Amino acid sequence: MVQLSRRQVLLATGAAAVVSLTGCGDDGPDKKDLDRNRAGAMEKYGVGDQFRATEPVTFSILYNNHPNYPLKPEWLFWSELAKRTNVKLDPVAVPLSDYEQKRSVLVSSGDAPLIIPKTYHPQENSYVSSGAILPVSDYLDLMPHFAEKLEKWNLKPEMDTLRQEDGKFYLLPGLHEKPWQEYTLAVRTDILEQLGIPSPTTWDEVYTMLKAMKAAHPDVHPFSDRFGKPNPAGNLLNMLALSHGLPGAGWNYQATAWDAGAGKYVFTGASEQYRQVVTFLHKLVAEGLLDPETFTQTDDQARQKLASGKSFVISTNAQTLVNDYRPDIAKINPNARLKKIMFPIGPAGPVNPASRLENGVMISSKARENKNFVAMMQFIDWLWYSDAGQEFAKWGVEGTTYTKDASGRRAPAPDVDIVGLNPKGTKHLQKDFGFANGVFAYGGKLDLVQSFFSPEEMEFQREMNGRKPAPWVTPPPAPLTDEEREQTTLWATALKDYVTQNTLRFALGQRPLSEWDAYVTELKGKNAQAYTDLVNKAYERYRKNHG
Amino acid sequence: MTSVRSDARFAPTGPAPAPRPDRRRRVGRRRPWRRALRRDWQLYSLAVLPLLFFLVFRYLPMLGNVIAFRRFRPGGSVFGEYWTGLRYFRLFFTDPTFWDVFTNTLVLGALTLLFCFPLPIVLALLLNEVRSRVLRRFVQSVSYLPHFLSIVIVAAMVMQLLSVDGTVNQVVGAFGGQPVPFIQEPGWFRSIYVSSEVWQTVGWGTILYLAALTTIDGDLYEAARIDGANRWRQTWHVMLPGIRPTMMTLLILNIGTFMAVGFEKILLLYNPLTYPTADVISTYLYRVGIVSGNLSYAAAIGLFEAVIGLTLVLSANGISRRAVGTSLW
Amino acid sequence: MVTPRPTRGYRVFQAVNAVVLTAVVVVTVYPFLTIVARSLSDNAAIVSGQVNLVPRGFNLTAYRVVTSDPAFWISYRNTVVYTVVATLISVVLTTCYAFVLSKKHLRGRTALVGIAVFTMFFTGGLIPNYVLVTSLGLKNTVWAVALPNAINVFNLLVMKAFFESLPVELEEAAAVDGLGTYGTLLRIVLPLSKAMVATMVLFYAVSFWNSWFAAFLYMDRQDLLPVTVYLRNLIVGASDATQTGGGLGSGDDIVQAAATIQSVTIVLTVLPILAVYPFIQRYFVSGIMLGAVKG
Repeated sequence: MVQLSRRQVLLATGAAAVVSLTGCGDDGPDKKDLDRNRAGAMEKYGVGDQFRATEPVTFSILYNNHPNYPLKPEWLFWSELAKRTNVKLDPVAVPLSDYEQKRSVLVSSGDAPLIIPKTYHPQENSYVSSGAILPVSDYLDLMPHFAEKLEKWNLKPEMDTLRQEDGKFYLLPGLHEKPWQEYTLAVRTDILEQLGIPSPTTWDEVYTMLKAMKAAHPDVHPFSDRFGKPNPAGNLLNMLALSHGLPGAGWNYQATAWDAGAGKYVFTGASEQYRQVVTFLHKLVAEGLLDPETFTQTDDQARQKLASGKSFVISTNAQTLVNDYRPDIAKINPNARLKKIMFPIGPAGPVNPASRLENGVMISSKARENKNFVAMMQFIDWLWYSDAGQEFAKWGVEGTTYTKDASGRRAPAPDVDIVGLNPKGTKHLQKDFGFANGVFAYGGKLDLVQSFFSPEEMEFQREMNGRKPAPWVTPPPAPLTDEEREQTTLWATALKDYVTQNTLRFALGQRPLSEWDAYVTELKGKNAQAYTDLVNKAYERYRKNHG
Repeated sequence: MTSVRSDARFAPTGPAPAPRPDRRRRVGRRRPWRRALRRDWQLYSLAVLPLLFFLVFRYLPMLGNVIAFRRFRPGGSVFGEYWTGLRYFRLFFTDPTFWDVFTNTLVLGALTLLFCFPLPIVLALLLNEVRSRVLRRFVQSVSYLPHFLSIVIVAAMVMQLLSVDGTVNQVVGAFGGQPVPFIQEPGWFRSIYVSSEVWQTVGWGTILYLAALTTIDGDLYEAARIDGANRWRQTWHVMLPGIRPTMMTLLILNIGTFMAVGFEKILLLYNPLTYPTADVISTYLYRVGIVSGNLSYAAAIGLFEAVIGLTLVLSANGISRRAVGTSLW
Repeated sequence: MVTPRPTRGYRVFQAVNAVVLTAVVVVTVYPFLTIVARSLSDNAAIVSGQVNLVPRGFNLTAYRVVTSDPAFWISYRNTVVYTVVATLISVVLTTCYAFVLSKKHLRGRTALVGIAVFTMFFTGGLIPNYVLVTSLGLKNTVWAVALPNAINVFNLLVMKAFFESLPVELEEAAAVDGLGTYGTLLRIVLPLSKAMVATMVLFYAVSFWNSWFAAFLYMDRQDLLPVTVYLRNLIVGASDATQTGGGLGSGDDIVQAAATIQSVTIVLTVLPILAVYPFIQRYFVSGIMLGAVKG
């Protein structure tokens, strides 16, 4: 009943890519005067100022409608926002399930609202060359809070990864003060205690732990994993590759990866680190430690195996542990205990592999002609990037939806609940007030981000933040031209399919690892080398042009 | 019937010359427009709204297909930026992966046609033999249920049944066989796909045949009975000819659209290990498309598929017209 | 119809037939019963694989979650309105055109069929369609759902084949009685085509009832969306772990997760169709022609 017809999908894949030389390579800010676009804008607006439009203004916005807190016009969020900023938002409500598709149609047909949030890099790339979206980097002078956070948190290298061929960026990403690693493994701690082994900290210790589990329970595959969409065993491959210092393998597979040592891009699926990852996986499968169905099963099947004691280890983030695994297993085995272990350390050492950029906001080029353009940029700056705006979007109105003690610790108001912080509360911060909304509230200072964490998750994040950020998470920019991008994307699918297919065959033992070199040669036959060369050429070109 | 060559082009609408009866052709075909209009204006008037629909909602948007020959940039002109000639056609014609998925599409389409077309007819005839009306209605209603299941659910059930510790492997084990990882074996994919397709569509497919069976003249049965025909011969000589127009129409349409194999189900059931048999044009395009957003490339392949579909339907129709006298037009 | 004395072979056939049809019933009804059971079960019991035909941890939480939301009822009402309006338009247009196409003597008939068949294979892209509907001003109206998909060529040709199979003598008789084209269609052909019209109503209604894409595309406001879009959002949203927290970190309190809600979805969308179906089914009675020709 809720299925996508083939044709709809085919026609709607306006998903990503395509960049060209639209501008003339001019880096400087927009020199055109903004005099006709200042209606409602504040004369003086700087860091720490509360934005308030000098006249009532309305901006259209694409709204990602979350099923857990469906849009309500009577939310305190809208009225309080209007009170504080004199801005009324006019949402085009799009179901979360198909947000990207509708965004693509709206932008492609020239019918998009002015503000387009919830855009994940590199989704904006496809719209750059047509000029449909605004090069926001030209207008940072209108956004003091955004500029200040870039400066203070030293986010310039991260921002550079968003730059296009013209040296500009087209997306205002969410900014985190500290990286936030969400995913790791969940382990049955009661089994660990039975076996008398400590919680593993490295992948080698994960291996010994699985060995011990297998020895005690020969009829189970102790590790059976999930999160296999869109790429098989995507999360497991991703975590393993990150521990080997290789970003962009697994569920966010990228054809090329930055090799800091060599100072150039290499083909991900043919790299030495990738070989090590595949070898490790093969060892786990061959010794019966990793369930072979990990590579093809659905999430529900993996959950079922964990719940019924057919496996003891699975990928997790904070939410799935609390919402899925623990309730699942409690029904069947009240003595079972599950814990999120620290992100296992691999050859890359104890690093935090998460990025500090979040999804963000695109702005329609039509906004530039709007008489309220300047006011809009100031408003976006305040709501998404000022401390006051971020706190408002996340927690709401002090005294009404939350309270703050002398030390600055926030807590929900007595009758308000959010993420189980106040189970007695009868009203819900998201559902009944519209705050902590994924469209408006993300990123920010560490203390704001952590204000929703459980003690367990706090401990995990404390330890992860103790590890140094990984440098290879922010590779140097290598933006492709329009033609290059078209060429590489047509190579990319066949290459990626081949990598994935052989990853699985190597891991499952369908192809012996001794054929790795043959496999690398086969990849070259499918243009892997030409692809990598193009990216390296783009990297050199960008370095020369934009230094 | 076969003597009527369909050469009906639109005659000039200007003042028509006096009708010259042409004995070699059927009279209706040669009737000039003015007389046809005078005689059949009521019929033509019924066609006005449907034609308007086709013109506005089908033919107008078709202009967008021009992007198969032009470079489309999302957010730019709906009709593309500049001419690229046959570039996108050359791109997929020279892509070896394209021909692999093309072959897979043909095989899966043919298998689906082979099983999913005749089985509803058989089921409809079987249902027709059930004496008790209550029972027949019950079986009918139940057999429609799979049609309403979301493909997501169907795929999840298939995966569950075929997993290494699933029901099918338990049966295999009971007969002393080794468990088979069905989902990971390219050799099993086609059987899995086609049987799940049969399961989902057979019941719903009977509706049309049951409706067609209602039109069969009761006298014909009686005449057949008087001639001493048993049930089997009645089926063969009365029922099958009675539903033949419906049957042939469906067959021709199924042949014409048999490249359109179930995209979403394949997407949910396949994995990189089964790509060698499971990957079809639509899934391949989906992966190319998601990565590249290359609507021009997609449009070019779409046109290619359309030409194949149209060719198939025209040939099937031609054969059917000569063989059994049923034709779409 | 007088029942002839069944032969021995026919009795064997009846027995085999009964077995085959029973098998069909079991194979098709089993998964559906499972889904009903799941919709009434505790989510944890489902994911641990305990639920088959009997609900485990019986509860109505998922039903309550879905039905306590006013937005659910608004979207349900939208679905009913869209389905009724769109089905009405579709059946009328399809019947008219199919009737015209079934007239073998009609000048230009081949072209008229060709115009329809061509659109089965060549279609416009998504974006041209969107631009068209927007510039016609149909966005955010029921017409955006009803008009762009008014005629399904597959249905059209099936109906045309049906009309062609009606005996020619009937219409000749109508002409003798002095009935024009309209009169023949309304008084003679349609009454004989109850089964086919019922089938068309069923086909169109089911497809509009289940469709979500047109409404998703052309409706910008939450209170205009049909129930399919609402439920689709619920399923995908509830099953997508990366989205559930809205970037909030641990312990977001989602009441009931994917498995149960999926099942509730199916039950709630299929139920009305199953309820309406018996009323349509009474037109599927064979032997209608008997009286008609003789009379």
